[in-house]
Amino acid sequence: MITDDIFELASYNIDEEPHIRVNPDVCQECTHRACTFSCPARCYQWNEARGRIDFAYEACLECGTCLIICDKGALEWNYPRGGFGVRFRLT
Amino acid sequence: MRRPDVIVVGAGPAGASAALGAARKGLRVVIVERGETAGSKNMFGGMIPNCPAAEELLPGFWERAPWERHVVKRTLTILSEASATSLAFESDNFDSRPYNGYTLFRPVFDRWFANEAVEAGATLLTNCLAEELIVENGSIVGVRIKRDKGELRAPVTILSDGVLSLLARKQGLSKAADAHDVALGVKALFRLREQEINDRFGLVRRQGATQEFLGCTEGIRGGGFIYTQTETLSVGVVTHLDSLKASGIAPYDLLQGFLARDAVSKLLKGAQLIEYSAHVLPEGGYKLVPRLFGKGVLLAGDAAGLCYTNGLNQEGMNLAITSGFLAAQTVLEAFEKGDFSERVLSRYESRLKESFVLKDMSTFAGAAGLMHNDRLFSVYPNLVGTVMEELYRSDGKPKKAMGKVAWDAAREAAPLRVVISDLLKGGGSLI
Repeated sequence: MITDDIFELASYNIDEEPHIRVNPDVCQECTHRACTFSCPARCYQWNEARGRIDFAYEACLECGTCLIICDKGALEWNYPRGGFGVRFRLT
Repeated sequence: MRRPDVIVVGAGPAGASAALGAARKGLRVVIVERGETAGSKNMFGGMIPNCPAAEELLPGFWERAPWERHVVKRTLTILSEASATSLAFESDNFDSRPYNGYTLFRPVFDRWFANEAVEAGATLLTNCLAEELIVENGSIVGVRIKRDKGELRAPVTILSDGVLSLLARKQGLSKAADAHDVALGVKALFRLREQEINDRFGLVRRQGATQEFLGCTEGIRGGGFIYTQTETLSVGVVTHLDSLKASGIAPYDLLQGFLARDAVSKLLKGAQLIEYSAHVLPEGGYKLVPRLFGKGVLLAGDAAGLCYTNGLNQEGMNLAITSGFLAAQTVLEAFEKGDFSERVLSRYESRLKESFVLKDMSTFAGAAGLMHNDRLFSVYPNLVGTVMEELYRSDGKPKKAMGKVAWDAAREAAPLRVVISDLLKGGGSLI
């Protein structure tokens, strides 16, 4: 019923600066890497080849999941600047 | 810009309500909203329960507000692996004004509501992020923004900036949210013809239906939902974050599984997926409500944790509007007295305690604990399915008495003392 297309349905005004910063060194200590499956926008991926977390802020839905589930303090979490980020039409 | 009397952070229902309540009595109100328009950051696919504060704030509120359907039908569906057991309630009494609840789109509703505050004299700054609170001598005296000389100052700031309320967190005003007390909602919005929605859900005119599902979250604490709008259906899954984290399952995979259930896919046949969204919501109930006032500050709506579920009711928007309304009343009292001390601002908390907002949250304080019982989300839904199937099944074998069917199935599902303890605790927290 749904496919990868769902991630293409949101509309964004993307800022050039990320609003969330990840400290990949801290992520090295993490055993659960819950961000990689809990983020509903798939912003966090474990990069096997590089042995680190890859983070892409552009598709962020600003939902707050990573802020709550990261128990390692790896995130510097802010909202995007005013007017930037996700914009919902109906929802 | 002239120095405002009140700063409102966030133009959601709590903020718009506070701004409208203060502005219509002549206070200079500035609303700071980070979205391009009020509501553009909001995903909500639910129902706002009837809320008398809205009418008090703006006579004819519901004649003017942009809503989709008035809800007359509420269904709770318990899914087991192979079955669905539903309890459907509908009432003629919910089909006449004042309606008991409405479905709506927040980007549309919030924009309208914030505009009503502007019509009453409030100034709305959109595209404007409140970056931090300005604190002097232990009092909150304003917020830092990236325009108007970088700051806004006022005797009172109302924080209605949502569940994450970064401002309140940084200042230690809100209780630190743990994954145990926060849920994630993911939602797909489907377009379907109005007549199709009416036929499939048994509705006429602008009647609306809501349907909640238990037993569809792979044992993760949470549930599914369908809400009817005029020409769309909001369909999604809500899960407690600690439980989701422990499961290793992705929320969109859960959503996918939910959409694939027969009980859901039949209702969605031919519907077109048009939007996907996600956000966290407060799930801690009464115990997570922080101190609602401080020096120069009031907390309203989700920022104050004013949101609860008891299994049947999911209330938040009505609590937000009422809290904003009561925050405005408190600010007006402070201006009348020329006294912005905590003693006067504490009247906000008293007002909330006298209203249904904190009374209901207190009544259902134990429900948050019940909703954290893992068995409610897989063991018991399967038990219900087993019992109902056995009661209805005809296979040439002699039937057992109904009580014995339930007794035997319960003993099979979990140790009896556990079942009895859950029943007592569940009953105790709701009845």
